Amino acid sequence: MDFLASIENSGLMTWLRESPSVLAYPTLLAFHTFGMAFLVGSSSALALRCLGVARDLPLGPMNGLFSVVHAGLWVSALSGLLLILIDARTFLTMPAFYIKMAAIVGALVLMWSLRAEVFARAGATTVAVSHKGRVQAATMLVLWLVATTAGRVTAYAPFIGWETAGAVLVTTIVLLAGVWVVSRLMRPAHPVSSRSSVHKAV
Amino acid sequence: MLESVLRYILDWPVVVEFFRSYAWGWPLMETAHFVGLTLLLGIVGFFDLRLLGLAKGLPVAPLRKLLPWGVFGFVLAVSSGLAFVFGVRANISIHPYEVLINDVFLQWKLVFLGLAGLNLFAFYKTGMSKAVDDLGPGDDAPPLAKVIAGASLVSWIGVVYFGRLIPWGQFSAQ
Repeated sequence: MDFLASIENSGLMTWLRESPSVLAYPTLLAFHTFGMAFLVGSSSALALRCLGVARDLPLGPMNGLFSVVHAGLWVSALSGLLLILIDARTFLTMPAFYIKMAAIVGALVLMWSLRAEVFARAGATTVAVSHKGRVQAATMLVLWLVATTAGRVTAYAPFIGWETAGAVLVTTIVLLAGVWVVSRLMRPAHPVSSRSSVHKAV
Repeated sequence: MLESVLRYILDWPVVVEFFRSYAWGWPLMETAHFVGLTLLLGIVGFFDLRLLGLAKGLPVAPLRKLLPWGVFGFVLAVSSGLAFVFGVRANISIHPYEVLINDVFLQWKLVFLGLAGLNLFAFYKTGMSKAVDDLGPGDDAPPLAKVIAGASLVSWIGVVYFGRLIPWGQFSAQ
C-alpha cells in the first residue's frame, strides 16, 4: 500500500488527478473512451458479422479491421493504466475492477481465437462462419457488455453496482427481444430474392 | 419566449423522480450511453475507414448492412443522453436550461453533433451514398466520398471528446 501511495503522490499522477486543466484528467478519460470505442466497437462489428449481420460480406478482407482493434486496445490499455495509478488504492481494492479485468482478458482471448478461427483463414470471398466461430463471437459480446458495465460502476458504491448490473441485464434482454421482433417484421416477403443477392455478392 | 419554452421542455419531473427513486437509474443510462457510442463509433467508423481505404477488399454495398447496428447505437446514446438532460436535476440540482446555456463543452458537443448531421445530409445530397454502393472489392472511393468519410470520423470523435468533458464545464452562471 505504501508503494501504491507513493505512485499516487508522484508529480505526474498528482498533476493528472488535480490539474484544473481539461487536458489532464478529463482528456485522459476521453482517451479511455476512444480506446474502448475502437477496441470494443470494431471487434463487436466483427462479432455481429459472425452472428449473421451483413452475411454477404466476405470474411477475409475484414481481417484488416484488426489494425483498428489493436490501436484501440493500446489506447485503452495505456490510458487505463494511468487511470489506475492515479487512484491505485481505490481501484485495486474494488471487486468491480477485478470483474472488469477478468471480463476484458476473456473477451481478448475470444477475440484472438475468433480471428484465428474465422478471419485469418478466410479467403477473399468466404462468407460461411463455423458454429464455433458464432459461439466465440456471442460470448465475446457478452463479456464486452460485462466489462463496460463493471467499468462504469467503479464510480459507485458496490450495492448500486450490483443493482445496475441487474438493470443492464434486464434492459439488454428487452432490447434484444425488440431488435428480434423488428428484424422479423422487416424481413423481405420473398426469401428467394435475398438469396440471389447473396450469390451476386459472392 | 424561447427561454421559457426550453425551460418547460428540457425539465421532466417524472424523469427526475425516477432517478431520485432508483440509485441504479443513472449508472444504467451511463452504461447505455457508452454501449451506444461504442456501437456507433465502431460501426460507422468502420464504414468511414473502408471508404478511406482500410480493408479495401470489402465490397461496400454488403458492408452497409452493418449500419443499422450503428443506428441502434445512436438511438441508445440519444435516448440515454436525453434522460441525462431531462433528469439532470436529480444529479446536480440545476435546471437543464442553465446547463445548456453555460456549459461550453455541452455546446461544443452539440456543434459537432450538428456537423455530423450536416455531413450525413451531404453524403446523400451529393450522390456519394449511391456512388459508394458500386464499390467492389479493391475499388477506391471517389475523393468527395473520402472527404465526407473523414469529416464523419472527425465529427463523431468531437462529439465523444466534448461529451466526456461536460461534467467539467460550468453548470450555471455565477
